[in-house]
Amino acid sequence: MLTNKFLKSVLFLFTLTVLVSSVMNAQVDRSKRPLPAEAKAVNIAESKTFTLENGLKVVVVEDHKLPLISLSLSVDNDPVAEKENAGYIDITGKLLRTGTKNKSKVQIDKAIDFIGASFNVSASGFYASSLKKHSSELLSIVSEVITEPSFPQEEFENLKKQAISNLASSKDEPNAIADKLSKKIFYGENHPYADIESEQSISSINIDLCKEYYSKYYRPNISYLSIVGDVTLSEAKEMATKYFGKWKSAAVPSAVLPSPSAVLPSPSAPLVNKVAMVDRPNSVQSVLIVGYPVKINLASPDVLQARVMNTILGGGVFRLFENLREKHGYTYGAYSTLDNDKYIGSFSASADVRNEVTDSSITQIIYELKRIRNEKVSTEELSKAINYLTGAFAIQLETPQTVANFATNIEKYGLAKDFYKTYLTRLSKVTPEEIQSAAKKYILPENLYILCVGKQSEVADKLKKFSIAGKVDYYDVDIKKIDPNAAVLPEGVDAKDIINKYIAAIGGKEKLDGVKDRTMEASMTMQGMDVTITTYQKAPNKFMVKTSFQGMEQKVYSDGTKGGSSSPMGNKEFSEKDLNDSKFQYGMNSLSNLEAFNAKLKLEGVKNISGKDAYKISITLPSGTVLTSYFDKESHLKVRDESEAESPQGTFTQVVDYNDYREVSGIMYPFLMKTSVAGMAFDVKVTKVEVNSGLADSLFGE
Amino acid sequence: MRKLFLFTMMTLILASQSFSQSPKIEFTEYDLSNGLHVILHQDNSLPIVAVTTTFHVGSKNEDPKRTGFAHFFEHLMFEGSDNIKRGEIDNIIQNAGGQLNASTSFDETKYYFILPSNQLELGLWIESERMLHAKVDSTGVETQRSVVKEERRQSIDNRPYGSMFEQVFSHSFSVHPYRWTPIGSFQYIDQATIEEFRDFYHTYYVPNNAVLSISGDIDIAKTKQLIDAYYSAIPKGTRPMLRPTEVEPVKTAEVRDSIFDNIQLPAVIQAYHIPAQTDKDYYAIAMLTNLLSEGQSSRLYKALVDDKKVAVYSGSFPMTLENPGLFIVYSVAAFGKSAADNETAMDVEISKVQKELISDEEFQKLRNQVESDIVKGKNKQVGIAYSLAENYLFFGNTNLINTEIEGYMAVTKEDLKHAAQQYFNKENRTILYYLPKAKKN
Repeated sequence: MLTNKFLKSVLFLFTLTVLVSSVMNAQVDRSKRPLPAEAKAVNIAESKTFTLENGLKVVVVEDHKLPLISLSLSVDNDPVAEKENAGYIDITGKLLRTGTKNKSKVQIDKAIDFIGASFNVSASGFYASSLKKHSSELLSIVSEVITEPSFPQEEFENLKKQAISNLASSKDEPNAIADKLSKKIFYGENHPYADIESEQSISSINIDLCKEYYSKYYRPNISYLSIVGDVTLSEAKEMATKYFGKWKSAAVPSAVLPSPSAVLPSPSAPLVNKVAMVDRPNSVQSVLIVGYPVKINLASPDVLQARVMNTILGGGVFRLFENLREKHGYTYGAYSTLDNDKYIGSFSASADVRNEVTDSSITQIIYELKRIRNEKVSTEELSKAINYLTGAFAIQLETPQTVANFATNIEKYGLAKDFYKTYLTRLSKVTPEEIQSAAKKYILPENLYILCVGKQSEVADKLKKFSIAGKVDYYDVDIKKIDPNAAVLPEGVDAKDIINKYIAAIGGKEKLDGVKDRTMEASMTMQGMDVTITTYQKAPNKFMVKTSFQGMEQKVYSDGTKGGSSSPMGNKEFSEKDLNDSKFQYGMNSLSNLEAFNAKLKLEGVKNISGKDAYKISITLPSGTVLTSYFDKESHLKVRDESEAESPQGTFTQVVDYNDYREVSGIMYPFLMKTSVAGMAFDVKVTKVEVNSGLADSLFGE
Repeated sequence: MRKLFLFTMMTLILASQSFSQSPKIEFTEYDLSNGLHVILHQDNSLPIVAVTTTFHVGSKNEDPKRTGFAHFFEHLMFEGSDNIKRGEIDNIIQNAGGQLNASTSFDETKYYFILPSNQLELGLWIESERMLHAKVDSTGVETQRSVVKEERRQSIDNRPYGSMFEQVFSHSFSVHPYRWTPIGSFQYIDQATIEEFRDFYHTYYVPNNAVLSISGDIDIAKTKQLIDAYYSAIPKGTRPMLRPTEVEPVKTAEVRDSIFDNIQLPAVIQAYHIPAQTDKDYYAIAMLTNLLSEGQSSRLYKALVDDKKVAVYSGSFPMTLENPGLFIVYSVAAFGKSAADNETAMDVEISKVQKELISDEEFQKLRNQVESDIVKGKNKQVGIAYSLAENYLFFGNTNLINTEIEGYMAVTKEDLKHAAQQYFNKENRTILYYLPKAKKN
């Protein structure tokens, strides 16, 4: 009995094992990534095109899966600059839908909504869709709106008011501000893409402008109509002819043909990196856009390579996302776009990042821009991007309008007829070398506009280092350039008074006048080299600055009547302007003898320097040269000098911050001068100050 | 006379047309022995497939001291598994030509892949991997803590009116866990230990709490085999799941508050308590949304934007949820108009719906809109797969995707008036004013 029972349970176990293993057999090896089944061909639906007598080009795509029909119109005129009337083109588009010869806005709205349709109109066309069974009602309204608009004055006034409300609300939206900032900076004052609405520009719009725009540009002969959905070619032909055949054609002015008044400006990337920001004092994140305008359109021969390149850089969960989000946790998302456009395209990398990591994020973005230029992508990474884009191509075909867009693009850009049919094959052949040459052409890490909408008091100082000139341009929410200090001009303080307090703080005019000559030695390290700077000064205006490193010496000097510079690179004599300017800049006690230099002072405002408020004073020399100095509000000591220098690469700002004031013979001298120029920073440390040692006049000649 | 006759004829013709022209969504559904519910819809028109997984867990299942947990976990689900290295999921899907994303709501957390259909097995492998043994380690938790904080800053803290959702729900619910929203609080995610994340996973990310819904270019029999191979070994969950039992008390007094934000245009939000989405009044409430705010002829848009010009935009939408939710009516004031101007105008429109039966013409408009919206909702595979899953999960009726039109068509004009009377009452609502910060004091 015992045996039997034992046997039974063994049998049971055995059966169980067989059962379990047979279940396991149906299982798979989880440690291995499954291989794809054989790929299926992606077939692009057929599109058919025809042209009406009035020149309207019509594209038809049949898709009978759902009983829906959609229509879209693209009016393909060259962009028109709105300038002081910015906003009028947008209003023109909206105005079309507010009244026709026979219908008021209320009637149009009712008719559209009654059939459950949607119908959006803009200055560049419309999109309309409904169930197929309502298509004639839809078409009859759409055609009336497009061909017989009545431009009601009252609706026009409403639209202006709405535009002003929308403008007000967009001023709080950081991404909307960033978008406007990038348009203005990328495309410059006169390009239509840089038109930015303001209360003033909207208020100045006259309805005649709208009527004129419509009659000049809204014409069938430059337009594309696509009819997509549950419709046959013959039905579509009938619809197009019946509803759009009476639309009148006319010659449309061009902005790109070479006529003196109509040529579009041609914006390009900046010569050196530039930084601009809009202050949004309550921001907890900085909205960053790093980019520039760039010439690229669908017909560019390397547009496909450029697209794959941008995909790898940041067109999805790729390098920028992996770096800024998954590696560093700076942001919820970081992406780049290479926007191709018939007139002027753009590249931009963007991310919303918390305030503290604003500069680190820009550093990482620039790092990725350089990397894709300097290093060839691996074949693995390239094939990932190709696969991703191949899949995306099929996925976008879920929307039947995609096929109509393909056909329209072929016409608009004059692409090869089989441009989209061969797309996947061409995509599969892109090589790492082609990616790198696309990157070298389109990715310009030394020519960036670095734009930020965020909390200026927390992030602005950290942005300076990205600008070659060491400066940030400030704009307000209307994208008008501003001086951030101008607004806070303190009352009851005057520039002369601030300078006098400074003189008193460092020892007083009497003590300063008692100094007849001075020798100052300082040292710094530049790219690993030790540099020593010795400055000799003698009253009233003699000086010699010797800079030596690696056995070489550079001198800048003046004996009061002439002067210049000498170095292993050659000698140069000062011009009269340079001579006079240098006497002020390098001479002794200039600030306590301002009258002698005939320098003009102006209090420009108050600025936070290293956490403390300082008065900003501009000093204009008779030559026109402007120097800027900052004096601490409490200690009255000078904390910063700013000066600008021209160079072939643009204007540089040199900034010297004065720290560590120590007393020598009754006068306070800064012993640490933090100097920055052209994005580089040096700490200049004073090692010795000696006064009245009887320096000979002969020291100050060449 | 003639015009009227024509119009009546047209209405009749429209009304008599059957709704069968919208194609029926065929599907197969079944349970695996571990409780995973599977729904398959075949559509071979394009070589793509949507693989979706919906877990019946959202922010309402969270501990009040751990808000934001469900959403945080959504992020962790992209970290990897025993057989998929950290950060590889995105890579693998993109490498296969696919796209992916996920979202978390009050009631559910859902994930999708859209793949070339020859990569179906890959999708099933990844989804089953992270249902069986997702990787929850400290590196992943630390990174996603930062990422989720940035998500909150980007979508709420740095955005005008960004806190609206949070404010509406926290003011409207005092007892039910809908009083917090899925994004939750920084502090709780920081406080949570890795053990808590693992517990959450083992409790809710189990086959018997999930629906696998696949739509697109598939072969049903083959797909079943693959699902069996990848999912049947995943053990059924046994831990008790927190299902909220709190019932929000019936409201007896209006809740009213003002929020000061970095905005220039004031806004008004009215939130009315409504029943759960399975309630008999659901269809009437949804149609009231059309009446109030679909299209420029809708009541709110026409009155507030076009006629009275007090608003730059006005609309409404129901937050129909598994438990009783909210019907939200909102309006952003036009330049120079006040929140009070808007509230008054909204009240006028709401009260009209309560007092007057709508016209036949307007009623027919609502029916036409509903019909059109339902057809348009069937244009993408991901949308179909999600609808099927949600119909099963929350309504216990997967076929609702084909029959919901009947629910709408059964609604009468009287039902609309009655629903408005029943729910759109003062004592049943929360009113929030969003005011420019500069105006404070």
